[in-house]
Amino acid sequence: MYDLFFKKFRERIDLSPEEEIQIKSYLIPKKIRRRQYLLQEGDICKHIAFVEKGALREYSIEGGTEHIILFALEGWTVADLFSFLTGEPAVYTIDALEDSELVLISKSSHEELLQTQPKYETYMRLLITDAYIALQKRLTSSISLPIEERYKNFVETYPDIVQRVPQHMIASYMGLSPETLSRVRKKMLNQK
Amino acid sequence: MLEPLIAHFESYLPLKESEMQLLEGRVTQRKIKRRQHILQEGFPCKHYSFVVEGCFKMYGVDQKGNQHNIQFAAENDWIADIGSFHSNKSSKLFIEAIEPSLILQIEQQDLYFLYQSIPKLDRIFKVIIENKFVELQNQVLQNISSTAQERYAAFLEQYPKLALRLPNTQIASYLGITPQYLSEIRNERS
Amino acid sequence: MKTKQTIAVIGATGNMGSAISRALSNANYRLLLFAKDQAKLQTLVEEIRKSNVVADIESVDCSVNASWEADIILLAVPYQAEKEIAEKIREVANQKVVVSISNPLNTSFNGMVTEPDTSAAEELQKQLPHSKVVKAFNTTFAADFSTPVIDGKQVDSFIAGNHEEALQTASELVVAAGFYPILAGDLSVSRTLENMALLLIQETIKSNYDWLAGWKVLHH
Ligand SMILES: NC(=O)c1ccc[n+]([C@@H]2O[C@H](COP(=O)([O-])OP(=O)(O)OC[C@H]3O[C@@H](n4cnc5c(N)ncnc54)[C@H](OP(=O)(O)O)[C@@H]3O)[C@@H](O)[C@H]2O)c1
Repeated sequence: MYDLFFKKFRERIDLSPEEEIQIKSYLIPKKIRRRQYLLQEGDICKHIAFVEKGALREYSIEGGTEHIILFALEGWTVADLFSFLTGEPAVYTIDALEDSELVLISKSSHEELLQTQPKYETYMRLLITDAYIALQKRLTSSISLPIEERYKNFVETYPDIVQRVPQHMIASYMGLSPETLSRVRKKMLNQK
Repeated sequence: MLEPLIAHFESYLPLKESEMQLLEGRVTQRKIKRRQHILQEGFPCKHYSFVVEGCFKMYGVDQKGNQHNIQFAAENDWIADIGSFHSNKSSKLFIEAIEPSLILQIEQQDLYFLYQSIPKLDRIFKVIIENKFVELQNQVLQNISSTAQERYAAFLEQYPKLALRLPNTQIASYLGITPQYLSEIRNERS
Repeated sequence: MKTKQTIAVIGATGNMGSAISRALSNANYRLLLFAKDQAKLQTLVEEIRKSNVVADIESVDCSVNASWEADIILLAVPYQAEKEIAEKIREVANQKVVVSISNPLNTSFNGMVTEPDTSAAEELQKQLPHSKVVKAFNTTFAADFSTPVIDGKQVDSFIAGNHEEALQTASELVVAAGFYPILAGDLSVSRTLENMALLLIQETIKSNYDWLAGWKVLHH
């Protein structure tokens, strides 16, 4: 139920069995089915969600169009961070692309852990740094690379997402129309 | 020399005298001329840079040689290619001073030392990066979803002071539009 | 709140389980019903779907899975069964709101099987130390759910618990079911609430209220 959560944790920071038990007592195991919402925009984001199994996406809806800001597969963490931190209404919606198993951490548990468990705090700093790096790379590539290169980068960086997520969602993630992405893919196939 | 950095940290959490002393020798002050680079594509980003005075841009250059601005940083802000900084891999980005500037720099090993010896910095940097993450996520969202007009409005919100300070060409490059088009947008707004 | 919370109702085919499920199926919740008798459970689910086509309701054949998927777990079973189920779901109920509705009455309805210095809800909290146990719905009869206003007065429903979030959640459930919520105090107040149920049952039997009776605090 928490295997991957602690595996990822230990990859970065040593934990004694006692520390693991302490942290575990704060975690919420939660299953969610395909197409169900974990968070709808306008609500307050009350949890950080770690994906043990399955796949979620986070997106904003503008004028009826969905713009995907994140795919979260096994090992990823997802939340509307601004809403979680400030208690302001969320601008993002999070739903499940597959039946999934999550580990949730509530705001009050998060704060208690930050106060009582320095290793949790360090881990959270590492997680947010990783997420920041991924965003910086994504923005760099979306601003300075031609579409073919961007798609190639995406496929190389996230082969699992390409396998498991429908193309029109990948187009939305890249800020392209599905038609444009499909043209680019055809062109790339022909070049091979 | 460290006062601005200490004041910045203390805007999050107060530091003890002993903690301030640990910063000594781990932080280097540098004066940077206008147009001078503190990061070049192809080299690893060796420093986390804190801007005391002046202003920087971080940008990438595409195959056609066009510059694309990704981020700006003025007083009390940080700038680095954080991915390259932590991985030691060569960066695809440049960081260049737009104005004569004064910065304080921390190298990777020193930052790790500071994380170890001042647990408070864990918290402070967690919060700094969280805030920057939210900004960057907004920017990515703008990038995939918005018109140039909306992106300009978001830029004004994110960098209210920089709008007057930065040359038009730099803002246009950040928005991914021509300077002419930016002037049109500005005229429309006024 | 737009985002639906998921409630697992354990013992959904009973008097209380079915009454609560019917009532909450009209509100913005997703319901996962569990009961031992799957055939009976299926009939109940279909009946609720028929009376409310938009009800977000499903049967689940395992109490652990239902609780794992839930945000809120409601134990609509007798006191003894409550202890048994708590053992099974302890891990998946971690940090979740668990609603205890049971009244630990003895078989002659003249006293409690619990010691005077505790209550069913407190015993449950001991068993589930990392869950947010809250006492609710134990002072309302199953029949009240279809008639939450009796003699022109909305029946009160008392809530006790130690966690702010659980009290809030329970209060929303009570409102969704049509009752008036009264936050009575911390979890030890469950002793009083469970005894209030005992008294109401005794009065109901004595005066033949036909199980349509409830508590109301009158005030100006
Ligand atoms: N009835 C009321 O008006 C009322 C009012 C307030 C509070 N309560 C409390 O609510 C609870 C339920 O009362 P009720 O009147 O609804 O009783 P009920 O009609 O007898 O229902 C009990 C339910 O629990 C199930 N169950 C029993 N033992 C179980 C076990 N070991 N594992 C799983 N499920 C089990 C039963 O399933 P099977 O039928 O398959 O055995 C049934 O679905 C009790 O604690 C009671 O004190 C009742």
